[in-house]
Amino acid sequence: MAEIHAPAVRPPTILGDKTLGGITSDVFAPLDRRPTRLWWWAFLSAAAALLLGTVCVGYQIMVGIGTWGLNRTVGWAFDITNFVFWVGIGHAGTLISAVLLLFRQRWRTSINRSAEAMTIFAVMCAGLFPVIHMGRPWLAFWVFPYPNARGPLWVNWRSPLLWDVFAIGTYFTISLVFWYIGLLPDLGTLRERARGLRKKVFGWLSLGWDGSARTWARYEVACVLLAALATPLVVSVHSVVSSDFATAILPGWHTTVFPPYFVVGAVFSGFAMVLMLMLIARKVMHLEDYMTMRHVHAMCKVIVFTGSIVGLAYGTELFMAWYSGNPYEKFAFANRMRGPFGWAYGVMVFCNVIAPQLLWFRKVRWSLGAVFLITILVNVGMWFERFVIIVSSLHRDFLPSAWTGYVPTWIELGTLLGSFGLFFTLFLLFCRFLPMIAASEIKAVVASERHHAPVAEGVAAEGVTTENVAAECETVEAAA
Amino acid sequence: MAEGRTTGAFVLVTLAFGSITLVATADIRLPGNHRGYAPEQPIAFSHRQHAGELKIDCQYCHYAASKSPNAGIPPTGLCMNCHAHVSAGFDAVLEEREAAEAEGRDPRRIVSPEIAKLYAALGLDDDLDPVPGAEPRPVEWIRVHDLADFVYFDHRPHMATGVACQTCHGPVQGMERIRQETALSMGWCLDCHRKSPAFRPGEPLPDLTAPLRYRHHVSTDCATCHF
Amino acid sequence: MDELPIPADAISAELEDLVFAGLPATRRSFLRAAGFGVGVAAVAGCSRAPVQKAIPHLTPPESIVPGRAYAIASTCAGCSAACGVLATCRDGRPVKLEGNPEHPLSRGGLCAVGQAELLSLYDSQRLDGARDREGGIGWDQADQLVVAELARIRADGGRVRLLTGTVHSPSTRAVIGRLLASLPDAAHVQYDAASTSAILDAHARSHGQRILPRYFFEQAQVVASFDADFLGTWISPVEHAAGWRQARDPEAEPPRMSTVVQFEGRLSLTGTRADRRVRIAPWETEPALARLVERLGVLAGGRAPSASAGRAETATLEEVDAVAGLLWQHRGAALVVAGAADGVAQDLVNRANVLLGAYGRTLDVERPSLQKRGDERALEQLRQELAAGAVDLLLVAGCNPVYELPDSEDLLAGLSATAMVIACSPSLDETAAAAHLVLPEPHSLESWGDAEPVAGFCTLQQPTAPPLRSARTLRATLARWMGDARGDRELLQAHWESELFARQDAIGSPAAFFAAALSRGFAELAPQPVPGAEAAAPAPAGSAFVAPADLVLVLHPQIAIPDGRHAHNPWLQELPDPVSKVAWDNCASVSPATARELGLRAGDVVRLNAGERAIELPAWVQTGQHDRVVAVALGYGRAGTDRFADVGPEWLQARATVESGGTIGENAAPLVARTAAGRVFAGAAVTVEKTGRRVELACSQDHHTLEVPAHLAPKGGEVRDPARELAFAAWQADPEHALHRGHHAPGEGELWAADHENDGPRWGLAVDLAACTGCSACVIACQAENNVPVVGKDEVRRHREMHWLRIDRYFEGAEGEERVHHQPMMCQHCDHAPCETVCPVLATVHSASGLNQQVYNRCVGTRYCANNCPYKVRRFNWFDYAHDDALENLALNPDVTVRSRGVMEKCSMCVQRIQEARSEARRRGEKVEDGAIRTACQQSCPTQAIVFGDHADPAGRMARLAASHRAYGVLDELGVAPSVRYLAGMNNDPLAPARAGHAETGGGHG
Repeated sequence: MAEIHAPAVRPPTILGDKTLGGITSDVFAPLDRRPTRLWWWAFLSAAAALLLGTVCVGYQIMVGIGTWGLNRTVGWAFDITNFVFWVGIGHAGTLISAVLLLFRQRWRTSINRSAEAMTIFAVMCAGLFPVIHMGRPWLAFWVFPYPNARGPLWVNWRSPLLWDVFAIGTYFTISLVFWYIGLLPDLGTLRERARGLRKKVFGWLSLGWDGSARTWARYEVACVLLAALATPLVVSVHSVVSSDFATAILPGWHTTVFPPYFVVGAVFSGFAMVLMLMLIARKVMHLEDYMTMRHVHAMCKVIVFTGSIVGLAYGTELFMAWYSGNPYEKFAFANRMRGPFGWAYGVMVFCNVIAPQLLWFRKVRWSLGAVFLITILVNVGMWFERFVIIVSSLHRDFLPSAWTGYVPTWIELGTLLGSFGLFFTLFLLFCRFLPMIAASEIKAVVASERHHAPVAEGVAAEGVTTENVAAECETVEAAA
Repeated sequence: MAEGRTTGAFVLVTLAFGSITLVATADIRLPGNHRGYAPEQPIAFSHRQHAGELKIDCQYCHYAASKSPNAGIPPTGLCMNCHAHVSAGFDAVLEEREAAEAEGRDPRRIVSPEIAKLYAALGLDDDLDPVPGAEPRPVEWIRVHDLADFVYFDHRPHMATGVACQTCHGPVQGMERIRQETALSMGWCLDCHRKSPAFRPGEPLPDLTAPLRYRHHVSTDCATCHF
Repeated sequence: MDELPIPADAISAELEDLVFAGLPATRRSFLRAAGFGVGVAAVAGCSRAPVQKAIPHLTPPESIVPGRAYAIASTCAGCSAACGVLATCRDGRPVKLEGNPEHPLSRGGLCAVGQAELLSLYDSQRLDGARDREGGIGWDQADQLVVAELARIRADGGRVRLLTGTVHSPSTRAVIGRLLASLPDAAHVQYDAASTSAILDAHARSHGQRILPRYFFEQAQVVASFDADFLGTWISPVEHAAGWRQARDPEAEPPRMSTVVQFEGRLSLTGTRADRRVRIAPWETEPALARLVERLGVLAGGRAPSASAGRAETATLEEVDAVAGLLWQHRGAALVVAGAADGVAQDLVNRANVLLGAYGRTLDVERPSLQKRGDERALEQLRQELAAGAVDLLLVAGCNPVYELPDSEDLLAGLSATAMVIACSPSLDETAAAAHLVLPEPHSLESWGDAEPVAGFCTLQQPTAPPLRSARTLRATLARWMGDARGDRELLQAHWESELFARQDAIGSPAAFFAAALSRGFAELAPQPVPGAEAAAPAPAGSAFVAPADLVLVLHPQIAIPDGRHAHNPWLQELPDPVSKVAWDNCASVSPATARELGLRAGDVVRLNAGERAIELPAWVQTGQHDRVVAVALGYGRAGTDRFADVGPEWLQARATVESGGTIGENAAPLVARTAAGRVFAGAAVTVEKTGRRVELACSQDHHTLEVPAHLAPKGGEVRDPARELAFAAWQADPEHALHRGHHAPGEGELWAADHENDGPRWGLAVDLAACTGCSACVIACQAENNVPVVGKDEVRRHREMHWLRIDRYFEGAEGEERVHHQPMMCQHCDHAPCETVCPVLATVHSASGLNQQVYNRCVGTRYCANNCPYKVRRFNWFDYAHDDALENLALNPDVTVRSRGVMEKCSMCVQRIQEARSEARRRGEKVEDGAIRTACQQSCPTQAIVFGDHADPAGRMARLAASHRAYGVLDELGVAPSVRYLAGMNNDPLAPARAGHAETGGGHG
């Protein structure tokens, strides 16, 4: 049991000496209260953005891809940039919930729920773009191999776009299941607290959760198994996405460093996004005790680490371009840095490589404002990374006669905004209607960190008993 | 919760069975599959009678089949090669002849209502005299075998390699009213193309050792039909 | 190719519907229905698409097989060169025009303008029936009016003038002759928008005959051309290009390679292909020619009168001396030509050609060209008569003086002072608008006609479609006025069977003679004796060129829009100019140095002041142009071109091609200078002032050189080498190694085995850059053959033009001394096609015969293939492109799908032609012969620069070319194994042996 005890050097994961009952009320309180004014403002603006995006996409599907700023040479720009960006954002969730669970990083418990939710919403945003970027989206179903009257006519298994379909599909499914399974105990709690229709609904949703030790045991096993299933996805998804470019012959795309480079970049941007949302949430929802400075620090470390790797990747690209001796390759990167889109490259390097380095300093890590700013910068930078890779490589490739520029249209900007609208709308709804902290897991942590201190009263009422908390600890052991 | 589960199961099972039976029976077809399409034609022309009983060669009327991508709908004038003389079914003519003999008069010229339509189209009356003011217009048949506009079918190679008309058009010689017998879907075409060996007059015999997908059968390139 | 009388009922129901009824569903609208319909139809179960009628002919038309195309031999009326065309027809209407390979002038070539004539046949704005100022009137009424007026004139005198472009139709000339003879004071005045009058006058002086010699560039070893764009727009470009090509064939045994030295101020198409190019200002032309004649005189041993060399740069004169030596060295096979509309210059040219013994060898006055007969002095005279109001009846036909001539206000005043002005014009153009009567002429593709472009060589023009409009040819009209009610065909046949038949003795009977002419499209006869120049032209009063000025104007015809007649043709408007690559506009071109001096950027709107005239045009910076020259294309700014306002897609940020009420480009004719000797197109002093406004020009190419931008150029990668050129000397010295390959040979270092098995043929193209002139005939041919849509100015601006075949134009070398490369670029049909691996739905795959197939109906439009195409030849349907002009849709090729919105498309190597040829071969039980299949681009190419063939047939013409030491594949180093092989260009400049090494491009590592 030794490692279950939080080492003395470490501050407790959860501050404020919570009772289990206290935790429950803290976590579930917001769901009972009416939404705050702040929430309404946030929600309405998000919804507005979503509406704008819907209009833009609708118009584009009615009129044609020509409503985007693309041309004969630059065939992708905002569309695939947004796609890769959102897939990247999605990564943190799985990483936090799966990998950190396997590594038994207890601090994850405060954030994994919202991180997973974020993953799901981000992947939903991402999944949107491959569909709407098609010239004939109403035929998108052709990318699925299904029996048909055309011979049958299969799909092209050599096409990275097809791999994407499966990678993203799998990723979304697993994340969703994982997230939902994780929700069960809390849904159970919700059911207990609710009455009337809500009780019925949560009853259905919690799949008849009873706090019995057997349920807990199976629950824990399921979580660990799913975690094991999800872990390889963290690597696979973005590797596949990166092969959209890596397998192409375009200078600036055709490079073997892409899979690791993309995965790390994804984790990088994902963590930045999680941290950003976390900082907002703990302030808005008064969850300072649960999302403590320790969490912030832990995440800052991940960010500065992955950020440095991303910097390394940029360097590697340049080195390989020079080392390859391939004039097209050399030109592609010279053009990327000093060509018409050099400014974008600058933004990218500043936001992704330089800015995060500040997190080495304790002072910076302690100032939430600074951290918040950096997380935003990282997200901007990561969006530009994809933009630079896609557009600056496309617009000047092999034949000088084919070189063009690229300017986005309002439709494209609106669509980008709309995807953020979708993301935040969903996230805010999630905050309203589901516990954004895994109360049950927190309790486990608290309990175990307290050497099985006597359980405060009012816990039994919620079907959480010393036994099953202990049992949980056992199963965690067993799983580990 | 328990009864809820059973209801769910029940619903699922019914759906499954339902869809299976529907798909199995040909009542529901995928869009674009027009098998059995047999619209009413402006003139009730009987392929059974002409191709079946009278054994008129298909290419007598559809004369372009062997030298053009389209078999061609016979020009209305072509009908008159026979129907200038044949104006009604044989039995009808016999009846009239007998009736005439009985009444001891010359048999009148009998014109069947359908053939009358043909004359009318050509601006002729039943005695084949031009109707003043009537402008001859070709008969507007309803097209039955109609491929999508992005498909280019060419009769020539099929005729040249001796594919029977019936292979694609079905037993036309038995059809009272022309009907689309086969699916004419891409899968249906490919099925045959994959089976048929590629022997091309004037071109070297296929190398039978080479990979199947290219050598053994006739072309299944997309550009064979789509361009 | 027999004459095909089109029986009324042979017109397909489709044609009738379209012409006489409303809009039908186009292919695309069907496709969209199918696309959108999926969801709906799935619900509706087995609901059938709208019922299709199958309407047969009434009576089987003889010699027309339903569904098969047939060719009708005719004559192109796109310009006065009268090239031979074969009109490919379907169901009683033409769907494609091709060159007639048997035609001795055009030799199978057909230029972009000729190709585009097809579309103008289906122009919905052509006039229908005679009309007066109020509107439509009956033909009879119109005739009565004219006949009455003529009768009055016959009775109590009066001046009748016939103002036309060059009329080279013998039958029409005969009728005109008869009319003129029947009138007291009548004259026929001809002029050409792009005048060559000075050349005819010069010959009137030197040869006593006012003729335009026929030029044989095939005989010319050395050509010195002073501003004569003979490959582009001068007199008979297709004929000249074919000749030029004949004199330049590096593959021949022994290799043939003539030398063309171009002295010019602007950069003409010929200039881009010249082996040596000397930039001279217009005012230098005459002294340079004088110097040339002087030098030749000296070389000839005689003493030539020394001309003043005052106005010419010494550098120019040194060049001239060198060229004189070269010409003299090849005397007998040398030729001097000049485009200048200047008597003095043309006299000098004639003298030079005499000294070089060119007459009878490289240019012919025995069988002169009749392609241009314009007489500027006669025009000038008529202008004065009109101004004086001394003309009673003016008939204008085949020209548009109000638009084409300077001082159109005076002209209009003159017209209003004329009792009766009759315009025979197909559309309501500037002149017709000012006429009392408009008697529309039919399009050449729907009417009978003939032409005698070269003395003793007559071609026939026959209808390929039933008349789409109620119109009448000048011939028939005039005949009718003289009480001869015969139809066109009768008039024509009568003339041929009497007059022309008499001029030959090969065929015995008139009927047989006419029949033969019909099937061949032309007949060779004895040339008519050219009448001696009635009043020998007076010696020109000094050169028309003004003294050196700071900036001088050069007005020139454009390749795509050679004159205003074609300004209403969207295909031509969207064809990027081969030199500037700008479409949908004419601009004021200045050299980079001048642009820097004036602080101009491309797109700055400038006001050009020449004398009291001024027009405003966007500026264009054209490298290779003389620093003192401002070049402007004529033929733009036609009234009514705002019809193109809504061409192209409509969407939120779309910009109209032209604002309604405006025109496409500006008419530069007002800037044409006038002298007693007629119009002068070059040399007038001009001032350029910025207006401060800017417009964004539609240029299809952003980067114009082979060099990558200096600040981005990696070491060894400064120059890319998609287009390569060899020095002829180097090639002769060592053909094997002449072509520098900076990269490993294709196929070397293959990772994978060939993943596409080949079944029999492996189709491919060989493109000879030594033959390509960049004339862009292939581009329009491809557009016509493959239903490529017109997308409008804004889309071209956004680099979304749809041309399957584009011509890349690269400059290389120091500013002013550039070499220019033209490179036709189409899908390369790679054996390892990068586009094929990335399509998720298998919409682009490889065929067993080496074609890279694009399947529109499978495409979902991810555009991944286009991104991954190193040649960027794939075209995406960004919008639904307008196909709602029912009449124009008749030009669509029924053998090619019209693509819907959201699908990718590209060059298919004319797979429809391949399939047709294979099916025919199959039917006959034969093999497909080498050369039996000709792609649209190949067919139309005047210089046979493109050859289609089978890589698997080493004996085939294409395969032999592809095996040449000049052959290379663009971007071979990528290992995509393109099936299109390019043959390096060839530059033969004996005057600069030093350039031998330099000339061959791509020294750098692409």
